[in-house]
Amino acid sequence: MYGFEAMTFNIHGGYLEAIVRGHRAGLLTTADYNNLCQCESLDDIKMHLSATEYGPYLQNEPSPLHTTTIVEKCTLKLVDDYKHMLCQATEPLSTFLEYITYGHMIDNVVLIVTGTLHERDVQELLEKCHPLGMFDSIATLAVAQNMRELYRLVLVDTPLAPYFSECITSEDLDDMNIEIMRNTLYKAYLEDFYRFCEKLGGATAEIMSDLLAFEADRRAVNITINSIGTELTRDDRRKLYSNFGLLYPYGHEELAVCEDIDQVRAVMEKYPPYQSIFAKLSYGESQMLDKAFYEEEVKRLCLAFEQQFHYAVFFAYMRLREQEIRNLMWISECVAQNQKSRVHDSVVFIF
Amino acid sequence: MEERHFIPESGGDQEPPQEAVEVENRREVRLQPGAEEKLVLQFMDSLNSYLSLSHSLSSTLGQAWMELASARHSMGTARLNTSLLDLKFHPASTTLKITEYDVDSVDAKAWFVLRKWVSSEEVEEDEDSNSTKFSERADDDDDVVVRRERAKSLSVFGILIPPKLRAAQLSFERALETLVEMANMRSRFLYSFHQLHQEVEDTKE
Repeated sequence: MYGFEAMTFNIHGGYLEAIVRGHRAGLLTTADYNNLCQCESLDDIKMHLSATEYGPYLQNEPSPLHTTTIVEKCTLKLVDDYKHMLCQATEPLSTFLEYITYGHMIDNVVLIVTGTLHERDVQELLEKCHPLGMFDSIATLAVAQNMRELYRLVLVDTPLAPYFSECITSEDLDDMNIEIMRNTLYKAYLEDFYRFCEKLGGATAEIMSDLLAFEADRRAVNITINSIGTELTRDDRRKLYSNFGLLYPYGHEELAVCEDIDQVRAVMEKYPPYQSIFAKLSYGESQMLDKAFYEEEVKRLCLAFEQQFHYAVFFAYMRLREQEIRNLMWISECVAQNQKSRVHDSVVFIF
Repeated sequence: MEERHFIPESGGDQEPPQEAVEVENRREVRLQPGAEEKLVLQFMDSLNSYLSLSHSLSSTLGQAWMELASARHSMGTARLNTSLLDLKFHPASTTLKITEYDVDSVDAKAWFVLRKWVSSEEVEEDEDSNSTKFSERADDDDDVVVRRERAKSLSVFGILIPPKLRAAQLSFERALETLVEMANMRSRFLYSFHQLHQEVEDTKE
């Protein structure tokens, strides 16, 4: 019952909540970002990060550094934190933590299948997979010719199996089918995660439903914008939107028929939480939309830490770390390409 | 891609007799009053254009790489990386045609001609003349074909790709066009330099 978590939460979740709040305190501050933005080279960035929690992961990397190396090593830090929390968690927190990684699992499946379609080496593809999304039989994906085989040979024994019911066909895999499969899987995953959080109830349900609804709405907007001018039909586009969120169902009906960014803006400005996001953009422009969405997401994720005795802090921490890694990637790219004036185009400060 | 320069050979010893008259005619044109200054101006103009194109290429490439980084930031490294590039055999989407330089023409023909998004064009081989003809299309069809070719080229990264990646593609396309212009300009100023050098040699004689 909502309001009584304080009596029982700490029995099983107290230790890990303290751990995750400690990890949150280790996130980079505005002062850290200001120092990083003034670096002249990737070695300078490595030197500044050596004083942070990323230090042990980067200290043994030889020069010259590459931006992908910095991202990979910082991701290892996230993976280590996650694995420590997962091995200490009991039900239902352990299931909740596993749900957080299913998005990466979907991305890895699509990466392997797409790379195999393009006749790439499986080992090369496995090296590019996100470590949080790995599972035992992932390399076997390379032998599947269509989605039915994909499901039957590999995915039936993975947590993604329930999400495949809507996209099992015998059609051979091609770029369009793979894209529809990716988005259909992600839609099913989000809806399942949403239902799971609702079942948990209490503060977890309240905060996670807000965060997942925002994720679903952002996906709907990105799918709409990215599908403008492509072969994706309106019906197919509509089928990729999740069946929850602030935009469901009337916003989705309007987004499905949008043909340009200004029509998308007109739809979104009817919803007060998204008015402020689109107010930051000029007409016809979508370059800063990603940053505007990330800023809104970070605001909501930071608010999750204002309440205690719920699982949303774990989700919020993982997402904030991923945002931090995206920031470091962007800063590294700007420094490597000698374009430091563009640094603030995409960096989202967390504190 | 191999660059061929068709620069007239200096000295009459290596040229066949039937071309001696043409060489003499060209020599007479060069010795006309003001010819040397004209050559110097042509050389300086070509060099200036080459340097301008070089600066333009530098800024276009810088913009293109930043747009690509921005697309990676948006899509994630899993969706945009080199391991997704297609290794299956497929026709080139863009080709470079090398044409012969017309030494007698005041406005020299381009030596390098870029043909973009040609993988879907119908090519009819003429066996007799060993030249190629390309089927004619209306302008609207051209736009549709070009858009389709661009989308096909980016489809290795997925169908639903952000506008940033498309912008990066356009920027790299512009950079390629600038590179070909630079190659033509370089050939032009090298030829002007060669003519000027010959002029100086003739004057010494």
